[in-house]
Amino acid sequence: MAAGNPIDPIHQFEISKIADIQIGGLDLSFTNSSLFMVFALSATVMLFLIGLSRRSIIPNRMQMLSELSYNFIANMLRDQVGDQGRAYFPFIFSLFMFIFFCNFIGLIPYTFTVTSHLIVTFAFAGLIFIAVTIIGFVKNGLGYLRIFYPSGIPIFLAPLIVPIEIISYLSKPISLSVRLCANMLAGHSILKIFAGFTVMLGFLGFAPLVFLVVLYALETLIAALQAYIFTILTCIYLNDALHPDH
Amino acid sequence: MKILVQIFILLLSSHTIFAAEGQGSTGLPQMDITTFPSQLFWLVITFTILYIFMWRVVIPKLSTTIEERKDKISNDINEAEKFNSEATGIHEKYEEQMSSASQNASTIISESKSQMNEYFENLKLENEKKIEEMIKKSQEMIKSREKESINEVRNATLETVKEIIVKYLDKTPNDDEILKKLN
Repeated sequence: MAAGNPIDPIHQFEISKIADIQIGGLDLSFTNSSLFMVFALSATVMLFLIGLSRRSIIPNRMQMLSELSYNFIANMLRDQVGDQGRAYFPFIFSLFMFIFFCNFIGLIPYTFTVTSHLIVTFAFAGLIFIAVTIIGFVKNGLGYLRIFYPSGIPIFLAPLIVPIEIISYLSKPISLSVRLCANMLAGHSILKIFAGFTVMLGFLGFAPLVFLVVLYALETLIAALQAYIFTILTCIYLNDALHPDH
Repeated sequence: MKILVQIFILLLSSHTIFAAEGQGSTGLPQMDITTFPSQLFWLVITFTILYIFMWRVVIPKLSTTIEERKDKISNDINEAEKFNSEATGIHEKYEEQMSSASQNASTIISESKSQMNEYFENLKLENEKKIEEMIKKSQEMIKSREKESINEVRNATLETVKEIIVKYLDKTPNDDEILKKLN
């Protein structure tokens, strides 16, 4: 097996260097991961450049697409956070578009899924966690600590509730990052395994092929859904930081 | 989520099996710490570019476009409402005029009808009077003609009788006597 095991589902997640870059002893090489980050970036930029190139009152298709995504995220932010969330809209919008395109580009065979690497999703989740915590303390002062002790709970339950709340708060970035990463990793691995079965079984391969087609549709849904979930959870955390009372 | 975690674990174990007979790579690529700096570095670069692009280019343009459209639509709706109210006003006026015109027409019709009736009634009465008068006149005429003719017959008879008397009796008779005898 020279080119690796045909059903090695992990092979697709391997990172290979394209250009070797070493700065200050750190390996900052341009890898296939970086390439697909650039692809996701360019896809977003292309979508909006084309969508915004001929702006008109009656939108054409690409303009419609860009406006739909804009309205989608704007409504999500308004519903979850309210008008105070406006300042964070560029970040939320960029986050959604980046994860969305990373997930979708990863569905194309022989591509690399940036979001299947825990470090990438954890970087986002960690950034969101730190930012939300800072925003919470800046907007509410020490009153932000109230989120660890929800109102209406008897005082004798506090020793029980407060640690649980603290743990759940601290586990937010982990759950957020693992959810996205695990979904991508598992989905793509299963796709790869069934694709391998299809090849290995020859004529009988149509059975896993049918399953593969169904699974691919499911993965397409999951790619969009996970980008949505990641974004909406970010909005919810942001809302907690801005309104810790409820 | 539970299922996903199970698959995750399964994949981890399956990979070690495949890796044993495969390329001999160690563990998940996700756990390879040496790739982290590069991934983070390029993530920061690409995402920062994306963020600045979205913040500076996309969102201002899109929001102005959407605002412009909203304004245009609301303006158009306002204008349409104005026109609509104007149109309903005109329609109401038209209806009013129509109803007043039809009322006028009906009064004119009824008036002319009554006038016509009166006229015909008068005409009828007049004609009846005239006819009665004419009948009276002709009756009178008939009566006078009757008298005249009677007188004429009488005179003619008188003359005839006179002449007869003169011829055959050779006497000049008195008219009164004859008249007395004739009657």
